[in-house]
Amino acid sequence: MVGFFNLLINGLIEGLIIALPALSLTLVMGINRFPNASAGDTMTFGAYAALGLQYAGVAFFSFAVMGSLIAGALLSWLCYRLVFQRLSRAPMVASLIAAIGIGFMIRSVIGLVAGHDLHTFSLPLVRAWNFDGIRVLPTDLAIAGVALALLILVFCWLKLSPSGRQLRAIADNPDLAKLSGIRPQRLMGMLWLLSGALCASGGVLLGMKAVVMPELGWEMLLPAFAAMILGGIGQPLGAVVGAVLMGIAQELSIPIVGPSYKIAVAFVVMLLVLMVRPGGLFGHVEKVR
Amino acid sequence: MHSSRLILTATAMAAAMCAAPGLAQAQEFRIGALNPVTGAGSPYGPGMQKAILLAVDEVNAAGGAGGRKLVVFTEDTQTQPQAAVLAAKKLIEVNKVQAILGTWSSGVTLAVMPLTDAAGLIQMNVSGAPAISVEDKKDLVWRFQATNDRFGQAFAEIAKKRNFTRPGTMAFNNASGRGNTDGFTKAWTAGGGKVVGSVVYEPNRPSYRSELQQVLGEKPDVIVTGSYLPDTTIFLREWYQSGEKNKWIMPGWAANPELIKALGPEVTEGLISVDTVSSETAPSYKNFDAAYLKATGKPASSNVYAAMTYDMVISLALAMEAAGPNANVEQINSKIRDVSNAPGTKVYSFAEGKSLLGRKQKIDYDGASSKLDFDKFGDASPDFGVYVIEKGQLVRKEMISLKPASGN
Repeated sequence: MVGFFNLLINGLIEGLIIALPALSLTLVMGINRFPNASAGDTMTFGAYAALGLQYAGVAFFSFAVMGSLIAGALLSWLCYRLVFQRLSRAPMVASLIAAIGIGFMIRSVIGLVAGHDLHTFSLPLVRAWNFDGIRVLPTDLAIAGVALALLILVFCWLKLSPSGRQLRAIADNPDLAKLSGIRPQRLMGMLWLLSGALCASGGVLLGMKAVVMPELGWEMLLPAFAAMILGGIGQPLGAVVGAVLMGIAQELSIPIVGPSYKIAVAFVVMLLVLMVRPGGLFGHVEKVR
Repeated sequence: MHSSRLILTATAMAAAMCAAPGLAQAQEFRIGALNPVTGAGSPYGPGMQKAILLAVDEVNAAGGAGGRKLVVFTEDTQTQPQAAVLAAKKLIEVNKVQAILGTWSSGVTLAVMPLTDAAGLIQMNVSGAPAISVEDKKDLVWRFQATNDRFGQAFAEIAKKRNFTRPGTMAFNNASGRGNTDGFTKAWTAGGGKVVGSVVYEPNRPSYRSELQQVLGEKPDVIVTGSYLPDTTIFLREWYQSGEKNKWIMPGWAANPELIKALGPEVTEGLISVDTVSSETAPSYKNFDAAYLKATGKPASSNVYAAMTYDMVISLALAMEAAGPNANVEQINSKIRDVSNAPGTKVYSFAEGKSLLGRKQKIDYDGASSKLDFDKFGDASPDFGVYVIEKGQLVRKEMISLKPASGN
């Protein structure tokens, strides 16, 4: 029983970290209608930005993280203005390939500048709190707290603010939105800033838990994609629920199938859900284009 | 006008450069230095490449081997099998090398071997995966590092000496990682012991807490790993945070100064790191150490693989000398055991060996990295050093020499 709860906690934390890039992917997918394969490397960029700020002597870790979110947001916005905006009328594959290319470029430049050695954030090492064998890491709580806060913030923006509403209108039907006087230009800028900040935050949280290397985010792209599909493409809440569900399924399967096959289990869960609900947990089939 | 003339000159030069190798091929032997200059092997790759160049200079300064000068072409594996295969193809097809030396990780060596085997080239590596011995069907592959299996045997020896009774294992899911823990389990259970818990984990995970939990649940007093630096950094931090008190035995490529830098002295205190050590008392090591220090500013002990790649060139050159002028690759290859293994007069440098071979004597080259006695699989068996991390420093405690592989 104790083991079960520990696995549950591990799965939840992993899922919450993946939820951030998954949310970024699904927002872009819902509105710009292409899978942004550079999201993973934007995560890496975020982690390295925080690391760079820390090396440069930024006093508090939270300041470094803030700086990294801003850097990630700007990078993502720049990619949109320079590349994806120009490709918006081209077929989806063009944007996808461009995104893969941008991802490669980010990764290579990071490798060139920072080297391929692994780095870690300098954070105090704390022992886990032990509740009768159920171990809770304070850092994990912090990670979960930051992830949840960011997710709530994004949802409030989407649901409550006028610009969020307009964004959802574009996602629903771009032509109708334009006819009703919504001007997408400014909204797109905001969307891409947000998307970059989400990725960067995911990268920093992942870097806190694991190690920072140039391949950090690239390795997380597939799970994030899977979470997006499981939740229903273009469904923000779906991406988050999908990520957490896959994280938990994967960890809980360890006692049965062992760690080597846990990743496969996460995908089996995805397959089963898609068999019953082809549009994903929160999606509708007709909305997937 | 000006630019077109430039292009013409450049074309002519390129043509001349292409033609040159064809003419010179008879008097030279072409070596491909295929090292992990970037990627996970990057702490070692540049030094390995330098060591190859140093050895080639030494051989050429002594008048070459078998009447031929050695020529080196360098390439980077990026510690990735895909990149290594491309680089090996270029070395084989464009540079027409006759031997490829210095592949580091097992994944890379296993990927490059089919190419060198098909082309009938000599391949020399420092990889650990036991599978390499099995795949080496034509006896063209030479291993200068101990196999993971032998690492595992050394781990078992250390665990026994330190009176551990409940070992657990954790292995990175690849040929090398599992080779380490399989070798340990084999040796440990053969000695009548029992492994209480074991887990094989996947690379590139954000966390290894659940995997750790699997092993720690069995209350081991020591955990033996077949792991690499990034994953070790992650699970060791999580282990420390969980507050467990067991000990660790790890291979030297995971428990190295980089690990201490990443985690700090408190987490790594008492960790047992096992690595092969060079033949530090041999004259060949002393020569190499001096040359390496002069070339790189670092002692040879800072990179155990550099001595191995140095020995690759020397033993290859001695085999060329023994095979005589105009010998083909196959004939040279068949002489590698002759010049490296006992019996024979012990020699410690290329020049020494060359002069004895000239007098038709049987020689036994004792290298800078190990005694270089190749078994029937073409594997050398260097000695192991046992290090314990104390206050952020790797302190050597003892040496372990295993008996050469018998049967198998």
